[in-house]
Amino acid sequence: MRKMSGLERVLTALKCKEPDRVPHFERVAKRVIEGILPGASYEDLVEYLDLDGIRFIDRTHSWSYEVVDEARRVKRDQWGGLVRYTTEDNPIPFEPAIRSEKDLDNYVLPDPDEEWRYEYLKQVVKRFKGERAIVVGVTDIFALGRENFLGDVGYFRAMVKNPDLIDRVNELLLSYQLRYIKNCIELGADVLWINGDWAMTEKPMVSRQFAQRFLTPPLQKLVEYAHSWGVPCIKHTDGNIWPIYDLILDTGVDGLHPIDPMAGMDIGEAKAKFGDRVCLCGNVSCAFSLVSGTEEEVRQETKEVIRKAGRGGGLICMSSNSIHSGVKPANYLAMVKAIREFGQYPLALD
Amino acid sequence: MVNLEDLSQAVVKGDVEAAFALTKAALEAGLPAGEILDRGLIPGLKEVGDLFEEGEYYLPELIVSGDAVAQALELLEPALRQGGEPHMGKYLIGTVQGDIHDLGKNIVIMMLKGNGWEVTDLGVDVSPEEFCAAVSEGDFQIVGLSSLLTMTMPNAARTIEALKKAGLREKVKVMVGGAPTTPEWAAQIGADAHAKDGPSAARVAAELVGKS
Repeated sequence: MRKMSGLERVLTALKCKEPDRVPHFERVAKRVIEGILPGASYEDLVEYLDLDGIRFIDRTHSWSYEVVDEARRVKRDQWGGLVRYTTEDNPIPFEPAIRSEKDLDNYVLPDPDEEWRYEYLKQVVKRFKGERAIVVGVTDIFALGRENFLGDVGYFRAMVKNPDLIDRVNELLLSYQLRYIKNCIELGADVLWINGDWAMTEKPMVSRQFAQRFLTPPLQKLVEYAHSWGVPCIKHTDGNIWPIYDLILDTGVDGLHPIDPMAGMDIGEAKAKFGDRVCLCGNVSCAFSLVSGTEEEVRQETKEVIRKAGRGGGLICMSSNSIHSGVKPANYLAMVKAIREFGQYPLALD
Repeated sequence: MVNLEDLSQAVVKGDVEAAFALTKAALEAGLPAGEILDRGLIPGLKEVGDLFEEGEYYLPELIVSGDAVAQALELLEPALRQGGEPHMGKYLIGTVQGDIHDLGKNIVIMMLKGNGWEVTDLGVDVSPEEFCAAVSEGDFQIVGLSSLLTMTMPNAARTIEALKKAGLREKVKVMVGGAPTTPEWAAQIGADAHAKDGPSAARVAAELVGKS
């Protein structure tokens, strides 16, 4: 088979077909980059490791924030709620934007067309377009509504007591995200990464009935819109999604990440159950092996993921969440090396 | 005559208004607050916990049941405090340093309070030193450490170490919990117990103090 570009590899896997080798890309924390290529940027690392894609999220690269308390690393996000930055530089919401329906009546959405939102995307497009998949994060409507807009408690309460409020919030947030998607695609996004957790370790956050009523319709709208532009979508959710995986797949998503091993999701079982419908993206453990295992353990786990889920294509081998700051740099390198070692098609693993 | 079974069902259904009205009526009828807790709220919360375990209830249902309990407790707490010692004991809880998630912790608090614990919440991003200071100053039976992030789990271990170094470890039982945590990890870092979610936390806490 001729050698493919990273972009071709990712797009082929997302069609559940066999590329020349199992593709791989990740978000990588600064500390890990520093351990691999001191002084380098994430984009440099993508090139250095010849990753097949580059991924970033909207929260960190296209939302605006204003400082509220510098010492405590508290900022107000563009939706109006408060966030606090973790050691990973991820803004975690802790005070929602909307506390009552009255707040919503007077609410003015941020403007998705502001040019500065797309500066990083433009840089990435300039450097990587056509060679590596440009994977743009779009926060899921459920996650955005729950985490930033109404807050966990307010959102879950409204699901039971005031479902119309959720409908209003979903509609509002969809109008922003659809516009954001359009702008990203016009500027060169190749793949959308729809991030936002729907499940806990034990089970989904909400019942099937609520997932059907509130979660999947807006996701389906995002996916259908991206598809109307010919752009595939990967849905990310941690947790045990066995009870609702079919609902997620019915939205038409092209990829599913990370098939959370911490939540007991076995990627071999996923391959057997729905590996022909959706590209599996995962699931080398960034809770255990990548953090505290040996390089050989990482190599073996990566091999196992490819063995279980790589057959026939439809696998993007990735960690079980991201290469966060607790991952040993040498272990991440061992994972990338193992993907190259064992991921050449046709696979010869059994 | 107030039927406390109705109060239990108000909790199960997350009916805030009914929980408030029934608790108020029970107090006005002269029922002791402890009895309203024992025969009204606790059985209701137990059923909520069972329904959660069985996959009938999810987070939205837990939240609205919690709202109903909170309403009832608002009326009961002054009377419960007059009775002296808390029903089950005193529980100190916080999310470990580096982690600012609080949904899981807050559900645990709701379940503990509803089961008769007096809970002191240190909030999120709590350093080992802050846990130690609170343990030193207070009279707690249990300390609960919540960690939702894999990368902050080591800070639960550091908190236990800090309690040991400060000579406070024997003063309290330590429970850990949070999405990425496991019973094996809890044992490894020297915790006394692990709870996988809010409903199980109340059960485990009762077991730790021999009141299950």
